[in-house]
Amino acid sequence: MTTLVTKAPTRDQGPMRVLKSPATARILFPIVVLAIWYIVYFTIDSRIFPSPQRVLVFMWEEVTLTSGVRYSSVAENLYVQFAISLVRLTIGFVAAMIVGTIVGLAMGISKAADAFFHDWVMGVLAMPALVFALFLGLALGHGHLAPIIAVFAAGAPFVIINVREGVRNTPKELFDMARSFDVPQNKITRHVLIPSLMPFFFAAIRYAYAIGWKGLVITEVFASDRGMGWTIKFWYDANRAHGVIGYALFFIIFALALEKLVFDPLSARAFKWRPKIDAVQMVEGDFGAAPSESFLQQEGQVQEQVSIESTEG
Amino acid sequence: MAEIKVEHLHKEFGIGEDRVVALEDVSLGVQGHVFVSIVGPSGCGKSTLLNILSGIETPSSGTVTITQDNHEAEPGYVFQAARLLPWRTVMDNLLFVQKDRSDETRARCQKYLEMVQLGDKGDKYPGELSGGMQQRVGIARAFSIEPDVLFMDEPFSHLDAITARSLRRELHEMWKLTRKTVLFVTHDVGEAVELSNRILVFAKGGRLEDDLQVDLPFPRDPSDEEVAIAKAQVLKKFEELDLVAT
Repeated sequence: MTTLVTKAPTRDQGPMRVLKSPATARILFPIVVLAIWYIVYFTIDSRIFPSPQRVLVFMWEEVTLTSGVRYSSVAENLYVQFAISLVRLTIGFVAAMIVGTIVGLAMGISKAADAFFHDWVMGVLAMPALVFALFLGLALGHGHLAPIIAVFAAGAPFVIINVREGVRNTPKELFDMARSFDVPQNKITRHVLIPSLMPFFFAAIRYAYAIGWKGLVITEVFASDRGMGWTIKFWYDANRAHGVIGYALFFIIFALALEKLVFDPLSARAFKWRPKIDAVQMVEGDFGAAPSESFLQQEGQVQEQVSIESTEG
Repeated sequence: MAEIKVEHLHKEFGIGEDRVVALEDVSLGVQGHVFVSIVGPSGCGKSTLLNILSGIETPSSGTVTITQDNHEAEPGYVFQAARLLPWRTVMDNLLFVQKDRSDETRARCQKYLEMVQLGDKGDKYPGELSGGMQQRVGIARAFSIEPDVLFMDEPFSHLDAITARSLRRELHEMWKLTRKTVLFVTHDVGEAVELSNRILVFAKGGRLEDDLQVDLPFPRDPSDEEVAIAKAQVLKKFEELDLVAT
C-alpha cells in the first residue's frame, strides 16, 4: 500500500529569510555594482577609468558648486544645466502625452485612424534617437526646439501604442453591464473607460519619460549648447571619465527619486483596488519557494472567505 | 403589474455562409409576480433573448415590449459573471447604477447588501471577495435599482454546488419579498424546477419548443419527491424534444 503524504511548505528561517527578502536584494544591488566597479578599476589599471571615490568627489563638488568649473555664460553649473534639460523634457513629455493620448484613442476606436497612423507610428518607433538628434540639429540648430521635438518624437509612439492597446482591451462586458442599467455615457466614461485605461496610461507615462530622457540627452549632445547632454559631451571632450559617469549618475538618482516619490505613490493610489499578491511572489510559489509573509497573509484571507462561504450553505 | 410581450422575435448574426440564427420567430408573454425560467442547450438563444430584452442587443425583426402599469418598465440584470467594476468598492458598484448618490439611495443599497448578507462589505473591493460573494453583489446591484422586471443569465453557473444552492435560497426569499417579475436563464433543469412557476424550453436554432407550468408549493427542496418527479418530467420532455446534451 502506498501512503501519500503532503507536507506544508517549510518557510525559510533566520539569516536565509533575511537574505532572500526583497529589501536585502535592493540594498545588495549597489554593493554588487560597487564591487564590480572596484574590480574593473584595479584590473584595467587605466589613468582614464575613475575610481568610485573620484566620481563621488566630483559629484559632491558639482552639487556644492566648489569644482571651480564654469561651463558657459548661459548655463554655468549643474543646477542650470539640469533645469534647462528638465524644462525641455517636461514640455516634450507633456506634448507627447497629450498628442499620444489623442492619436492612441483615435487608433483604438477607429479602424480608419489606425490604418492612417499605424505605419508612421511604427516608423518613428523604429527610428534611432541618433537620427532624430542629427536631423533636428541640422534643421533647427542649437536652440530649445530640437531637444523638445526629440523628446516628443521619442515618447509619443509609446504613448500612442499603449493608449491604443488600452482602448482595444477595454472590458466590453462592463460596458454592456452599464448599458443594461441605463447608465449615462459620461458616467460610463468616468467609471469604466478611464479606469480601464489607467494601467496602459501609467505604462505610457513611464515609457515616454524614460525614452524621452534618452532622446533629450542624445540631442543635447549633438544639437545644443547647454543642458545635461551637452555637459556630458563637455566632460567627454575634456577626456574626463569621472565627469561623464558623474553626470550619468545624476540622471540615475533623479530617475529613481521620481519613480519613488511620484510614480510609485500615484500608481499605488490608482491601483489600490488590486489584490496585493504580487506576480513575483506567485512565481516563487510556483517554483517551489516558500511563500513570503504577505503571501501567507493573503492566503489566510482567502481561507477566511472560503470558510465564510462554506458555513453559509 | 409588469408585463413582457415578445412577438415574432427573430435574431441572426453574420451574413451569407456565416449566418447563424440565434432566435427564430419567438413569441411569448409573461405577466405579474412570476418566476420564469428559460432552459435549453448551449447555443439555443437563451442569453440572446435576455440581451434583447434588456437592450444590450437589437433584434433582426419582431417586437419586444416591457411595461409596468402601462409605462415603460425598468429592468435589472444579473449576469453569468458578476461584472463588477474591480476599481470601485462594493457600495460604489451599487451606486454606479443608481440615478443619484443621495442618502436615501445609499440606504437602499445598504438594505440590499444586507439582504445578500454582505452588509459589512460595502467598503471592500470586488477582488477581496470570493466568487460567491461577488455574485451576491451582482444580485444586490440588480435589486437595488428596484426594477420592475429582473433578467438573470445563468447567475450561478460559475459557482460551486453548495454556494449556488445557498444563493438560490436567498434569491427565492428576495423574489418572495420584492414581488418582481423574473426571467431566469439556466441550463440546469433542477435549478429551474426549484425556483420557477413556469419553464420555457428552447431548442437549438432558437425555437421556443414548450411552455411548462410548475405547480408546486414553495420553498422547494431538491431532495423532495415532488420536486424530483417534476425535474424528471421536465427532463423527459427534454428527451422527447431531443435536447439533452450528449
